[in-house]
Amino acid sequence: MKLLRTLFSGRKDTDVLAEEAMKGQLRTVLGRLLSKPVNVLAILVFLLFLIGVTVGPYFYPLEINYQDMTQQNIAPGRTMLAIPKELQGHIADISVGSSYSMGLSDAGEVYLWGKTQVTRNVDLAKTVPENMGKIRMIAAGFDHAVAVNEAGEIFCWGNNRLKQCDVPRKADGSDFVYLAAGYQFTVAVTSEGDVVSWGNTNMVDMSLRKAKGPVSKIVFTLDSAIALLQDGSLVYLGKADNALSRGVPEGSFTDLAATGHTACAIAADGSTTVWGEKEYGLDRVPEMEGRPVSVEAGRYHYTLLTDAGRVYSWGRNNYGQASAPSGAEGAASVRAGYFQNYAIGADGRAAAWGLKGYLLGSDGYGRDVFARLLNGGRMTMTIGCVSVIISSLIGILIGGVSGYFGGRVDMLLMRFEEIVASLPFLPFAMILSAIVGNRVSETSRILMIMVILGVLSWTGICRLVRAQVLAEREKEYVLAALAMGVRQWGIIVRHIIPNVLSVVIVDMTLSFAACMLTESGLSYLGFGVAEPRPTWGNMLSGCNDSIIIQYYWWRWVFPAIALGLNTIAINVIGDGMRDAIDPKTEER
Amino acid sequence: MLRYIIKRILYLLFVFLIMSVLLFVIYNAVPGDPARIRAEKFKQKDPVQYQIAYEQARADLGLDKPLPLRYFSWMRQMLKGDFGYSTYYSRDVRELVVTPMKNTVMLNIGAMFLALLITIPLGISCSTRRGGVYDNLVRIFTVVGYSIPQFIIGLVFIFFFAVRLRIFPISGFGTPNFEGSFWEEVLDKLRYMALPLLVMTFSSLGGMTKYVRSAMIDALSMDFVRTARAKGLKEQVVVYVHAFRSALLPVITLIIGWFFSIFGGSLIIENMFALNGMGKVYINCLQNQDYQVVLALQMFYIIIGLAGNLVIDLSYMLADPRVRLG
Repeated sequence: MKLLRTLFSGRKDTDVLAEEAMKGQLRTVLGRLLSKPVNVLAILVFLLFLIGVTVGPYFYPLEINYQDMTQQNIAPGRTMLAIPKELQGHIADISVGSSYSMGLSDAGEVYLWGKTQVTRNVDLAKTVPENMGKIRMIAAGFDHAVAVNEAGEIFCWGNNRLKQCDVPRKADGSDFVYLAAGYQFTVAVTSEGDVVSWGNTNMVDMSLRKAKGPVSKIVFTLDSAIALLQDGSLVYLGKADNALSRGVPEGSFTDLAATGHTACAIAADGSTTVWGEKEYGLDRVPEMEGRPVSVEAGRYHYTLLTDAGRVYSWGRNNYGQASAPSGAEGAASVRAGYFQNYAIGADGRAAAWGLKGYLLGSDGYGRDVFARLLNGGRMTMTIGCVSVIISSLIGILIGGVSGYFGGRVDMLLMRFEEIVASLPFLPFAMILSAIVGNRVSETSRILMIMVILGVLSWTGICRLVRAQVLAEREKEYVLAALAMGVRQWGIIVRHIIPNVLSVVIVDMTLSFAACMLTESGLSYLGFGVAEPRPTWGNMLSGCNDSIIIQYYWWRWVFPAIALGLNTIAINVIGDGMRDAIDPKTEER
Repeated sequence: MLRYIIKRILYLLFVFLIMSVLLFVIYNAVPGDPARIRAEKFKQKDPVQYQIAYEQARADLGLDKPLPLRYFSWMRQMLKGDFGYSTYYSRDVRELVVTPMKNTVMLNIGAMFLALLITIPLGISCSTRRGGVYDNLVRIFTVVGYSIPQFIIGLVFIFFFAVRLRIFPISGFGTPNFEGSFWEEVLDKLRYMALPLLVMTFSSLGGMTKYVRSAMIDALSMDFVRTARAKGLKEQVVVYVHAFRSALLPVITLIIGWFFSIFGGSLIIENMFALNGMGKVYINCLQNQDYQVVLALQMFYIIIGLAGNLVIDLSYMLADPRVRLG
């Protein structure tokens, strides 16, 4: 009760007889504004957002056209590198899946960590088969997991929509030496070099007959696979004809790894070759100390281990996956996949680096919601700010001229104002952006949205300024100034504008919030800033779907909170300023 | 009085004329050729036939005449009540808007009724308990209410009522192919309309409550209220009879203003809940470049808006004779 009262009125029981010190107007207003905790809170919230969206994008830059189908709709959390404590010190092997990792202890037990909810209905951690016995090999795929026990029995669980878990039972009992799970696809290689494969054959046509001779290893790219034969030669197993299929090097190789579009092989003489579509500096192999022993790959990076125990990572580094930490030195083996890396030491402990997870989840295109929120906030706020400045300038000019000169000018300008005010706002803005917007580039389209918002929303402030100027014009001091021979512009600049300014500032604050809301509404309807460029409005526009609303709640809750909280804060500040400037309104 | 009304109507006509010219020019500046769309089906067959069909379509649509002439013929048609033909829906605009308009008006009246039912008692009770816990709580709620955009309220309501509690369907305007008696059908429709209705009502609560509250506070600070209290009238009589009647004036003007907006569908709500209302028609036509419909609708809304302004001013004047007419 008392808290609420102080929150809103901020009045203290003052001594009636106490003398009040004289203060400047600005200080009085500011003091009154800050005397209410709710205003202070609102200002803090707003500042937090402001700093977040102005500074944040430098730390979380946005690659506008980036998409990653393996990272779709991942729940918020940063547990992807959190190796379970009971596993540390006993790690035998680790395999990295799309949003989770799988570990094997030296006792043959399987551990899963990270975001194991691979589809809406399947949680890998909850569906681990029971009584698997002592597990010898593991492989984590995009949405399924595979394990092989000592008896050569294969266990496969996870999403089975494309039969990625339908293990050919006749394979059980073989002596497997290599196991790999790709995008809805699995291969297992026996010691004789025979290949057993199952899963979605649409992506990778395993025309394994292409692999003449016994196989020792098969790696997956996004749409194909490459095999390393036991004789050390490489065979491309995909269907496509591209830089990857054409560039397969000749010679004898000892290890092989593949990112989304490139592959890297270690030759028998210790040199490394990278071929395929060169992106993110994947072909710039760093200078190395020692001979390369094994290479592993994520989506866009490679991690390599030399016989000197040194670990090197290179390639795309947006999540820190290509910055091997010093703790990785002296590793016995390295494991990489997607955006994560693990360097497993001889003591059974592992150092991890790369993507920890998405603070606020990822969206339907595998983009980080947090980064988009920051960048989208900057866009929303910039648009709001610029359009408010435009509308205020127009409004002040027209309202001021109209109020000061009166008469015919006033009549004409007010009719003009009426015309603009009678335009149905949202539809009209939509039409303008639909008509002009299709012909121009994205940047000028955004600029145009700002201008449209500004040009259509000045009428409110115009009326306010006009009324205020009309009132001020009649005051005695203006008459006195006129009598003293002060020129008209002098009167306007010196006397009238300062008196109008307070009204203008309050109105600008409130219409800043309104402009942000309008922009969001426009973007929500698809007539504002277009995807893939984010704003708080268009981040919400794809979320009008019961599945997203229910299961992928982070995709709409966070933008909604950001937008809502921000406008609430701005409105509270605006109302607070109005009360502070004119205490009489507070009573209302 | 009469002079004022005539003057206002003249202004209104003037503004309307300017608006119509402005809009007509804007829509004709839209890239894209409606005649080409009409002649499209001949394109594959034969270039000569296509050219003939194209010229024919141009003549039919009046595109071969200069812009001012087209404007006058368009205006004449509009005044005669012919609002054009929708290429997207392949129907006359007049016939096209009947059902959506009915839905929209129904929804708007429902939301308005509900909102008034809630906000008037809320505003009055706040004004009598000014500064108290209750008042402050309601004030928090009103600030939140008018700061949060409709589509966020919509998402939250869908989450709770449609996804979690499963009380109402998510979108649509009645079960498809519904069979049942008249009342069952009405009930079914109501179930579908409930969620959009709730969202619309909720999103207008904030602003309305604030408005009613400040009108009541103004009224309560009047001298006649003090007199009434001094006479020893019961507080309830003072609030509900004396003060409320005085506060009613601004509220009534608000309601009248609102009444004129019931024909305009809420773009966001109707899009969100896939309702067949005016907003949906509008967006569909815009997205499919069916600008004749958009133009006609826009003109209609401008007339409604201008007439609304006039009526509001007049009602102000009738309600409060002190309002000076300029």
